Amino acid sequence: MWGLRSSRTLVILTAATVFVIACVLPPLYMLSAILHPGGGETALRDVLLDTRQQGLLYTTLLLGVGTSVLATLVGGALGLVLARIRLPFKAPLRIALVAPAVLPPYVIALAWSYVAGSIAFTVWGAIAVLTSALYPMSMLATEVALQQVDPRLEEAALLAAPPARVLRRITAPLAFPTVMSAALMVFVLAISDFSVPAVLRVRVFTTEVFSAFAALYDSGRAMILSLPLVILTTVVAAAAAIALGNRLVTTRRTGGGRPIDAFDSWRLAAAVAVCGAIGLMLIAPLITLVLEALRSPSVVPAISDSREAAVNSLVLALIGATVVTMLAAGLGYARAHTTARTGAAVDALWVVLFTVPSTVVGIGLIGMWNRPNALGLYGTRAMLVLAYVARFAPVAALAVAAIVRAVPRSHEQAAAVAGAGWLRTIAHIVLPQIRVGLLAVWVITFILAFGEVGTSILVAPPGESTLPIRVYTLTANAPPGYVAALALFQAFVILIPLTLLGLAFGRREAP
Amino acid sequence: MTAPFLRLNGVTKRYRGHGGITDLSLEVLASESVVVVGPSGSGKTTLLRVIAGLERPDVGEIWLDGRIVAQPKRNTVPANERGIGFVFQDLALWPHLTVRGNLDFVAASAGIEKRSRLARIHDVLRLCRVEPQFVDRYPHQLSGGEQQRVALARALVGSPRLLLMDEPFSSLDPDLRVTLRGEVASLRQQLGITAIFVSHDAQDADALADRTITIQPPSEKGTRLGSRLGSSSFRP
Repeated sequence: MWGLRSSRTLVILTAATVFVIACVLPPLYMLSAILHPGGGETALRDVLLDTRQQGLLYTTLLLGVGTSVLATLVGGALGLVLARIRLPFKAPLRIALVAPAVLPPYVIALAWSYVAGSIAFTVWGAIAVLTSALYPMSMLATEVALQQVDPRLEEAALLAAPPARVLRRITAPLAFPTVMSAALMVFVLAISDFSVPAVLRVRVFTTEVFSAFAALYDSGRAMILSLPLVILTTVVAAAAAIALGNRLVTTRRTGGGRPIDAFDSWRLAAAVAVCGAIGLMLIAPLITLVLEALRSPSVVPAISDSREAAVNSLVLALIGATVVTMLAAGLGYARAHTTARTGAAVDALWVVLFTVPSTVVGIGLIGMWNRPNALGLYGTRAMLVLAYVARFAPVAALAVAAIVRAVPRSHEQAAAVAGAGWLRTIAHIVLPQIRVGLLAVWVITFILAFGEVGTSILVAPPGESTLPIRVYTLTANAPPGYVAALALFQAFVILIPLTLLGLAFGRREAP
Repeated sequence: MTAPFLRLNGVTKRYRGHGGITDLSLEVLASESVVVVGPSGSGKTTLLRVIAGLERPDVGEIWLDGRIVAQPKRNTVPANERGIGFVFQDLALWPHLTVRGNLDFVAASAGIEKRSRLARIHDVLRLCRVEPQFVDRYPHQLSGGEQQRVALARALVGSPRLLLMDEPFSSLDPDLRVTLRGEVASLRQQLGITAIFVSHDAQDADALADRTITIQPPSEKGTRLGSRLGSSSFRP
């Protein structure tokens, strides 16, 4: 349609180049440094045979499996409610159920540590906290999977069997691949998380990597320690991406017709489950933080002392979200126009890159940019923007690809046939159709960047701090009320754009 | 006079103020074969869905075999307890189950014991002329005609009292359509089952109907029905 020298090629090539530099090279650098001849194999053997590391592996796996199972059970049930049961105020309820996913997990961990005391400071406590942070992923995956099940298939079964049996024999198997893939993703994100185990003092690979690098200044050990984690996350994330296939970037319903109402007899139980989940996963942690913050007169000083960090966070998250969205727009557009096979490979790459643990990304970025002739970026705030790009561009690109695919290809073809160039087609035909989706991607990226700590804490220039870094560092040596006030402030900064976005989408949602 | 097997009394089912059926009354005798014809949007599919219990009527009552099964806003007998076999327009064969699995789900739900279930499945498949070698195939491994036969077999395996078919032959090529229409007609006569077919094709009515009902889109006076017996005597 458009030639090789077109503006389209230029835009996509630029986006791809930036993506490779920011997102692909840091983990590759890590891998090459680990496998570099001269001790790599020996050190690796030491890691694998060391009983201490085997203990780490056990705890890490327990954290991943426990979180995955629990999040899938909770999220699966809630996803079924959202997809199949008519409830009043469903749009705001969905926002409230999704909200824990965008709150920084360490904020939730802090809250539960105030309530549960020593029980929170165990691997089981970490599992509970990560479940409350990650169940929305299972919930949304289940909802999408069920919406893609043709209602006729369930209706045909309902003529023969009661709803519970239909759910078990017909609905659940049809939604299973998507739900299972989400479970794998939850597993990967749980074992990749640094902040929750760090706050709850649970020793897993991510915290060990951080300690080796930031506390012991032993980058070689940090890199070696990260290898099992990278292998595990890569294999599982790739399996999830392959299992999901094209569904990763498909937003259209495959089934036609109205949703069935046979499950409406479960409305009361569903309403109780939804309210219970919102109360336990969102309201309880926030109220705990409020009570803790009010217990000492530290709300105002906590926020005023952290004004610089807060401004830093806001500005950097704004810049980061903008850069990530622009990059994702180019990449997502290109992905949406690739063949199925190439697209599947690209999806798998993006999923794998998104799941690379934050501490590993941080060390990779430092390794790449802390050298002469590296544009002088190291030691500047640009490293934090790079960190946001490295962590969130892959998932943003996946989202944009799904949004672009919802625009029929014929719309662009019609514009091309009419003589419009690519830029003009994008500006007048494609962008108007995807602008709300892009806005959503921007808001979500802003929220993620605003709460990012695992990579930021490693790459932040000396003397510079963001709000998450400040919250994390203060957990060890500041009064709980002071930290709670900061965490609460951070939570509200995140919840405001999320609520606005949710309300905007709620209004657009078909009744 | 024989009591009707199925009776709809002033049934209305509207979707957000449009479409559906309005104040529709209908009686179907036991073992009768009724073909409902009408233009798109006239409410043919809605009629089948309220009879099957997949929709609740807004107004009116539905009686099945002397028992009230639906009242306004309420299904007094749920879909799975009405003893209805339904062939959907898109067939709705469960893609994760084999042919045997599709039929087994219905047979088990109908309370057929495990020991006799396999024999029942094979009997029905034979009746519907499904080749035995297809039994372990998945729906996507079958041709359109084979899928149609399996969908019919699935609707019959639970020994339903009423068979509903929604545009059953619409996706088939003309030759296969004629063949299957003949097979379904003879099968229905053989089983003596009460049946309601929805179609927009007059030839379906000629081949399948004891009585043909024409249905018009709802107007202010409600959904208008006209009927004729066989292919000749028209009873407005």
